[in-house]
Amino acid sequence: MSISSLAALAAAAPLEGGLRQVTLYHYLFVSAAMFCLGVVGFLTRRNLIIMFLCTELMFQAAGLALIAFGRYHLNFTGDVFVIFVLTIAAAEAALALALVVLLFRRKETLDASAWAELRG
Amino acid sequence: MALKLELIRPEIALFIAACIVMIVGLSKQHATRTACAWICGVGLVVAGFLAATTPVPRIATGAGLMPELIPYAKTLIAAAALPILLLLTGTVDRDYEHRVARGERFDPIRATRGEFYAFFLFSVMGVMLCASADDLIWLFLALELTSLPTYIMVAISTSRLRSQEAAVKYFFLGAFGAAMFLYGFAMLYGATGTTMLLQMARSFGEHGVGTLAVVGMLFAIIGVGFKIAAVPMHFYTPDVYQGASAPVAAHLAFAPKAAGFLTLILLLTTLGWSALPAVGGPGLPEPIRVALWVMAALTMTVGNVMAILQTSIKRILAYSSVAHSGYMLVGLIAGPGDGSLWRNGLAASLFYLLSYAAMNLGAFAVLACVERRARGSDEHAEIETVEDLRGLCRTQPALGWTMVVCALSLLGFPPLLGFFAKLFLFTSAISAGELPLAVVMGVNSAIAAFYYLRLVSAAYFDDRDERLPSGHVTPFSGRVFAAVASALSTVALLPFIGPLHAAGRRAVSTPAPVAQAPADAHAPPTRAAAAASDR
Repeated sequence: MSISSLAALAAAAPLEGGLRQVTLYHYLFVSAAMFCLGVVGFLTRRNLIIMFLCTELMFQAAGLALIAFGRYHLNFTGDVFVIFVLTIAAAEAALALALVVLLFRRKETLDASAWAELRG
Repeated sequence: MALKLELIRPEIALFIAACIVMIVGLSKQHATRTACAWICGVGLVVAGFLAATTPVPRIATGAGLMPELIPYAKTLIAAAALPILLLLTGTVDRDYEHRVARGERFDPIRATRGEFYAFFLFSVMGVMLCASADDLIWLFLALELTSLPTYIMVAISTSRLRSQEAAVKYFFLGAFGAAMFLYGFAMLYGATGTTMLLQMARSFGEHGVGTLAVVGMLFAIIGVGFKIAAVPMHFYTPDVYQGASAPVAAHLAFAPKAAGFLTLILLLTTLGWSALPAVGGPGLPEPIRVALWVMAALTMTVGNVMAILQTSIKRILAYSSVAHSGYMLVGLIAGPGDGSLWRNGLAASLFYLLSYAAMNLGAFAVLACVERRARGSDEHAEIETVEDLRGLCRTQPALGWTMVVCALSLLGFPPLLGFFAKLFLFTSAISAGELPLAVVMGVNSAIAAFYYLRLVSAAYFDDRDERLPSGHVTPFSGRVFAAVASALSTVALLPFIGPLHAAGRRAVSTPAPVAQAPADAHAPPTRAAAAASDR
């Protein structure tokens, strides 16, 4: 279930109690958790693809927070922001995969620690 | 809408130039391909002209946060990008063009000239868009537009493995930083309910700066710290500068840094530091001031101490660029003061950025100009260690003296531009009551003397070891011209310090409505204050 449809459900709330009790803070908590997972993953993992996915996770955490805040403030600015964030994330994904392929061709590994020519 | 288009005329000029360059770079005629750099140059000159002539009063009605910043910053950016463009000539496709000249069939797929110049223009365009930003969404997109092309520029700047390694490091930390400031922007939006900078400033003025906004601002500052290479996001700097070719490193030392500082100035201005404690206003919220303070002190110290330990010139210059970011952060902490010559920290930071662009470019340009044959092949390699600079004043007087002048100016040696730039930062910090920070900065300037003087003495003293392979001057005369021009500008700009600084003070002044919004600001310093100090 996508985030936006979840938000719509929370607003419509066909169930008594249920999703109606999902407040801004729940979304922010999920978003903060996603962001922290991304940070921890980025700092601890050494596989380039996993590291890139971690930065994506951080981007989407920000997107979730933006949508939740947009709903909270009852304006569409957050939603508009998210559309641009998705576009940038796609551009970054293209760039990341191109770079990873370039490196893999030359060293046949995705391990970031194999890349240590530049030191000092 | 039409007004916004009017604001971004210089960017549109650059965009058109970039599109033409991408097509022209694929041409089968060698003469047409070489036109790429010229088209870039024309685009930059036109953009600079449009930026300088954009009518300011009409912008002011567009209700930006700092309307006067737009023409000033964009003209400065276009002026600084021109010598960088001269340096970039001949960076890519050099060996490939040699092979084509010897009769190999030209294959557009293998040529990277068009993209390279187009990405350069896109990156400059991103910096300009940062200056005209009036919205968080715009700011985010402009920052990304500045950085994304530079990742590719690093990757294709040489055919060596280390360039690609540098690009990957740069990209991954860049994406990490981008996610940080994006999350910060999300929190700022959550705290104020708007992404318009002007309305954010009003909201902070009326309701105060809440915890969420402070945390968001801290995330944004740390994320943007990647662009300006400030601690704790500085790790990539030496590796990336060393891996990229010298001209690209010169671009990296200017463009993202300028974008980052313009962003920081705009973001911190929304917090309403237009009303500082000195004039009765609240100033920056304490957590943010402390965070910036620690960041500035650490950035200066780490940059300078690490620079001492290096032997590669590019790594020295990379750590020096970290240290200079720390100096510029001091100006941001000092804030605009009462807007006068000696007290305006923002104008001091902008002026430092301008001086830094000139003198740092000269130092990198020397590296781009002196080349030698790599051992065992006929590929061109750049000089690497400080030892390679020895006797440069004798063998290549123009380049040697460029290195001497630029290193002295970076050090802040009295009659040169760098000295005055640093002086303004000192006085603004002291007048804002940040005496400890000024002391830290003074100590750091002393530490910096150690490695800058090493560069100077290596170039000046003639005790060259003749067994080392000697360097020769690059065949691209544009690079030498850029080197000499930037060294001369550290002296030639001296008579214009007054007008340039005054223009900077005008640029960072906020129009009255923002400053009056906070009810408790007693004496909002405005353009009137800046105008008064001009007299």
